[in-house]
Amino acid sequence: MAAGLRTVILLSFVLAVGFLLIILSCALWKNWLPLLVALTFVLAPLPNALFSHCGGDELSGSYESSPAVDFGRFITAIFVVTGFALPIVWAHSEIIDTKAAMMSIAGGGLVYATIMAYSAVFRQEESDYD
Amino acid sequence: MALPRSNYDPRRVCLNPFPEFTLGKHRRTFGVYLAGALFALANWTFLDAAVLSKHAKAPYGAPPGTDPPVHVTFTDWVPGLCSLLGYLVINLIDKDRIRGDEGFGDSRAVWRARLFLFIGFALMAGGLAGSVTILVLKYLVGESYPAQFTYYGYANVSQSVALMLSAIVLWIAQNTSSEYEYNLTL
Repeated sequence: MAAGLRTVILLSFVLAVGFLLIILSCALWKNWLPLLVALTFVLAPLPNALFSHCGGDELSGSYESSPAVDFGRFITAIFVVTGFALPIVWAHSEIIDTKAAMMSIAGGGLVYATIMAYSAVFRQEESDYD
Repeated sequence: MALPRSNYDPRRVCLNPFPEFTLGKHRRTFGVYLAGALFALANWTFLDAAVLSKHAKAPYGAPPGTDPPVHVTFTDWVPGLCSLLGYLVINLIDKDRIRGDEGFGDSRAVWRARLFLFIGFALMAGGLAGSVTILVLKYLVGESYPAQFTYYGYANVSQSVALMLSAIVLWIAQNTSSEYEYNLTL
């Protein structure tokens, strides 16, 4: 579990860097719209997590997904694309600076990657308790 | 025949035109994610045009402060709304009903499901046709606008196209999965 501790520290560090990038992209240009990108990326894994417990009764196979699980994945994909599209749209209309858009995209991607990596790394331990 | 033996089988009358995806059991997951991404991309393409129109500056070369000659109005929203409605209708239909298994419920349910499926596809096709109509009538024919304004029309068309692609991907993803399951149970 020493590797687990190191992973936690690394992931939290990456998460902090991601939030730092997003907050910098807001504060440097004094335009706090890109903060919504962080919100979008934080919300992105939520539908998947919620709906994954809805599907899969006894009759269906273990990996065969139900419509509810599909719906969760659909909404998750919408959130992720929204997170990337929002700063691009804003930068296109010159509401925010282009550099701010790039910084918030990078920061949001780091935040989302952290959440994905965390759930991927620690899924094994959860299944042991099932 | 010059074809390799595995590809040529004289007993086969017609070949399956669908390409075989080799994504294994994650095929359905991948398809659903792709459909969601396309869906969001479609709507953001159009919203980009709408936001751009709201914050539009004077055309290039004109003196600053001039009003832009054209805006995204409610007319531009109509094809996208039609496509969205058709998307909802298509995906709310139970796919088992369309296949025509007369096992459960009344037999007219199949007929009704096919009618609603037709309405859904007609709405999506109508949205695509409407967006092309708006592109041609509002932005291309008549007054000629600079490229920064005809972008609104192209964004409208690409919204409808991406929505249609998303519906197709979602349909294929859901149907290939059931085929796969079928093969397993046999």
